[in-house]
Amino acid sequence: MHLLAFGDNPLGHVVDVAIIGGNDPIVGSTASDTPILTMHMVTMLIAAILTVWMMMTVASKVCTGKGTGNERYLTKGRFSQMIEVIILYLRDKAIHPVLGDANTNRFLPFLLTLFFFILVCNILGLIPLMDLQHVLGHGIVGSEMQWAFFGGTATSNLAVTAALAVICFVIIQIHAFRELGIKGWLSHLTGGAPLYLLPIMLPVEFMGMLIKPSALAIRLFANMVAGHTLMAMLALFGKMAFAGLGTGGLIGIGFISIIAAVAISFLELFVAFLQAFIFMFLTAVFISQMSHHHEDHHEEFEEGLTEYDEVPAH
Amino acid sequence: MVSMTLAASEGTLNPVAVELAPAITTLVVFGLVCLVLFTKVWPKIASGLDERQAKIRQEIEAAEAAQAEARAAMESQQAELAKARAEANEMIMKAKADAEATAKELRARAQAELTELREQAGQQIKEAKETAITELHAETAMLATAIATRILQREINVDDQQSLIDDSLRELESVHGG
Repeated sequence: MHLLAFGDNPLGHVVDVAIIGGNDPIVGSTASDTPILTMHMVTMLIAAILTVWMMMTVASKVCTGKGTGNERYLTKGRFSQMIEVIILYLRDKAIHPVLGDANTNRFLPFLLTLFFFILVCNILGLIPLMDLQHVLGHGIVGSEMQWAFFGGTATSNLAVTAALAVICFVIIQIHAFRELGIKGWLSHLTGGAPLYLLPIMLPVEFMGMLIKPSALAIRLFANMVAGHTLMAMLALFGKMAFAGLGTGGLIGIGFISIIAAVAISFLELFVAFLQAFIFMFLTAVFISQMSHHHEDHHEEFEEGLTEYDEVPAH
Repeated sequence: MVSMTLAASEGTLNPVAVELAPAITTLVVFGLVCLVLFTKVWPKIASGLDERQAKIRQEIEAAEAAQAEARAAMESQQAELAKARAEANEMIMKAKADAEATAKELRARAQAELTELREQAGQQIKEAKETAITELHAETAMLATAIATRILQREINVDDQQSLIDDSLRELESVHGG
């Protein structure tokens, strides 16, 4: 019996598990080629509910309301203040310098939603929900059945990150068509190259257009998988030491592995924020690359009129 | 490959496979999250932030205006103070000059009075001297007459006496005048 979920497998915490459908579902025995419901799907639903609940709570604390007096201008509660600071930082220091006034107002809700959704998914993955379910399930019922129905990091699932990247791709392209028009979009695709280079430029630019969101998806997925795998490996050292060296090994190696796992947990917490930020920020950058002012930058730079940093961002 | 084997051995899904169900669920769930946040959350937060920003800007502007007003008032007060100080100095100087003039005038008046008194005293002394001399002359004449009477053993009438006196005075005056 494994006391902890997937105790022998460091990938156990990051790999999705089929609950309904798939080869070896937790519930029922009707195996199929594709899973219908997986653990990451449930976790993502929980993350979505948490995101909505959290942001609605924050919105009610941040909004000034219709009262009178200066008190209504204050954000109530430390958590809401923290989220407000994050929103202000992202808006003023990350998104606005990239997108400018008009596009910031247009895309800020989408980018913030993307950031907070990914962030909640990432942070939820740091909580050992699967292990808790296993401990509680085995402790109460005592059976060997799989008790975990949710947990893990939804963003360590390539399907999830790919779907988010697809959404970003669609948003970027819709924005490109609206801003540049078909002609401008095609012109952007050629990158201002002469006609005889088009056979090379077109496939390269087209691939680049697809690779950008793909890189977003793979970066987030890889970071989440790597961090959690490392943590699981460190946690497994104690068990391996106990198996190999007995109680002395468990105490010695286990102590070191716990300290290392705690340190890596802090790093993972930072990575959770960082990856959410990077996904959101790069989406903003890709959007800005499909804007008029970016085209202007291209032309001015190519004509040698000015440097990039001399052109106003908006 | 190892990870895939490990995963498969636990009955888990392939970690690098993109399953359709989680992907579609992500699209739907994220779409719903966007829908709720776009309608219920971001407008509230945006208006809250904008109103707070406007309020802070308004308060800062009001504080700056009040500061400028206070600075102007302070400068005006300082100007008034300097003016009052200058006026006070002027008044002190004027009072000092007046006092000096008065003292000078008093001194001159005292000097004049003193001179006058001195002159009066001189005049009185002169007059007293003249009176004394006249009386002395009369007394001298009387004595001389008496003595002469005694010497001559005869009475001299008043006219003789007067004639003698006048002669004596003339002689005396001629002696003094010469």
